[in-house]
Amino acid sequence: MKIVGIVGSNAEVSYNRLLLNFIKKQYSQLFDLDVIEIKDIPLFNQSDNQTESAPIQKLNKKITEADAVIIATPEHNHTIPASLKSVIEWLSFEIHPLENKPVMIVGASYYDQGSSRAQLHLRQILDAPGVNALVMPGNEFLLGKVKQAFDENNNLKEQNTIKFLESTLKKFVQFVQLVTRLDESSDQPLPEEDLHVTNTIDTTIKDVNMSAEDWVEQAAKKVNAVEGDTYVKLNRGILTVDQINTFLASMPMELTFADNNNQFLYYNYTKPAEEMLADRVPGQVGNPLALCHPERSLKSVEWVIQQLRSGKQDAVRVHVPTHGPDKFVVHNYQAMHDDQGNYAGINEYVLDFKPVVNWYLKQTGQKLEGSTDSLSNSPKHDVDAGSGATTKG
Amino acid sequence: MKKFIGLVGTNADHSTNRMLLQFMQKKFKQQADIELMEIRDIPIFNKPEDKVVPNIVKEMAEKIEQADGVIISTPEYDHSVPASLINALNWFSYGIFPFVDKPVMITGASYGTLGSSRAQLHLRQILDAPELKARIMPSSEFLLSHSLQAFDENSNLKDNDQVEKLTRLFEDFLVFVELVNQLTHAHGDNKKEAENFSWENI
Repeated sequence: MKIVGIVGSNAEVSYNRLLLNFIKKQYSQLFDLDVIEIKDIPLFNQSDNQTESAPIQKLNKKITEADAVIIATPEHNHTIPASLKSVIEWLSFEIHPLENKPVMIVGASYYDQGSSRAQLHLRQILDAPGVNALVMPGNEFLLGKVKQAFDENNNLKEQNTIKFLESTLKKFVQFVQLVTRLDESSDQPLPEEDLHVTNTIDTTIKDVNMSAEDWVEQAAKKVNAVEGDTYVKLNRGILTVDQINTFLASMPMELTFADNNNQFLYYNYTKPAEEMLADRVPGQVGNPLALCHPERSLKSVEWVIQQLRSGKQDAVRVHVPTHGPDKFVVHNYQAMHDDQGNYAGINEYVLDFKPVVNWYLKQTGQKLEGSTDSLSNSPKHDVDAGSGATTKG
Repeated sequence: MKKFIGLVGTNADHSTNRMLLQFMQKKFKQQADIELMEIRDIPIFNKPEDKVVPNIVKEMAEKIEQADGVIISTPEYDHSVPASLINALNWFSYGIFPFVDKPVMITGASYGTLGSSRAQLHLRQILDAPELKARIMPSSEFLLSHSLQAFDENSNLKDNDQVEKLTRLFEDFLVFVELVNQLTHAHGDNKKEAENFSWENI
């Protein structure tokens, strides 16, 4: 379970930050907690819409992708700090990532009250129509007198507090599971994927037959693509096209780039199809994804792209067990995003994990428990087990 | 004549709360001098370690200190007070305490039906915090709903009943200010309590 922990204060010193970091460390068996800061988020102003700015988009993406959110709030003036209120206002103005998101509220304060009033306000705020979060009822966690609460290693001192916090967090995990089930049952189907690429996007090279064997040559001519020793400026560096090719060819995996329009644009071509883990041939490049896969696996292909485009999953991994016990080949469909956080297509990297794991075991002197070939015995996944792209024809 | 600050509870360029305060400024100019105060240039509060309050905040606090009372008009964002107004109040209780025992009248305007009712309740609780400790006029809600349609082309409130209600409330506020001025017994304690209220050392 992936949970985002929002530090509800932009102050340099914050016990709420300590509390979230403690939760992350102490209860890592229950969930992964990504502790995020709000200090880069500007003060909300409806006349100066900064929804598209990087800090807000980053927060939006993290919350959208998380299963749940924990907010740790201090109390200023009997309510939540302006900086936290501001964040919620941005997240209920043009974007609504907290909608139907399970949220748990915790809070630490210098006083006995432990942010009780701020927490009540926060509940009401999160319940507002523009926010529409699903705040876990009951189960308040108020940490009063925080200055005495942590030891020198930033751990909570009181065993009873640690136990109580654990029981509350366990209830929250159940709450998240419950809410997620409710949510799934009412889920709208995701939009269909245009696997035949009937539309174009800004970067589509137009008026070249996508299924042509020499699409690369035709398309390159069309856009005057640079090659050879021409320099290309990158983030961050400068390489010639030849150097980029050398670099990508040296990657210890097979790389494939499909854009967000489902067009196969690139693979790091170093060897013939029959020597590859997932076979590709030069003439395939440029094809719509529908042409790269057998008809029977198109539904699976669509499902994978829907997961990535919608942000439901950041990566879909499929183990392809047809390579024998000496390899553990995984097709990794990794979502790509531009610097605004928009879906930009798929980086499919096909990697044999076996040498990586073997190297790790050797370096650390560890052995795998159980059978010697446990690594290659994982159950066959039925998603696109026909594997990624297959040789055309 | 009484001198009041009309605190615009939002940093938005267009605000019916600003219009409401401007209307009150004009309507009650015989009874009081209302100076509008904007919060949009106040930097975001981040509890600075060095406790240095920005000059703009100090200047505003000084004006509030000098005034006989403050009228705050708040919109409602997400069932509560806008971050920008909370932000201003955070600063106004960080080593400076201009609101202690200051008579405050709360008004609010909203585009919808409820007229910022929940935000006003939160604002009452906020102003009651020990480090702000304002004297908020009790039982005196003024909620202006559907505020986009509430003003005519001369920026006057259209609905006569509402104008009358606002007038009566304002007259009450003038009396309330006098009353508060007599509530002096606890003033020393309140001031001390606010000053002793350290964000660090309680």
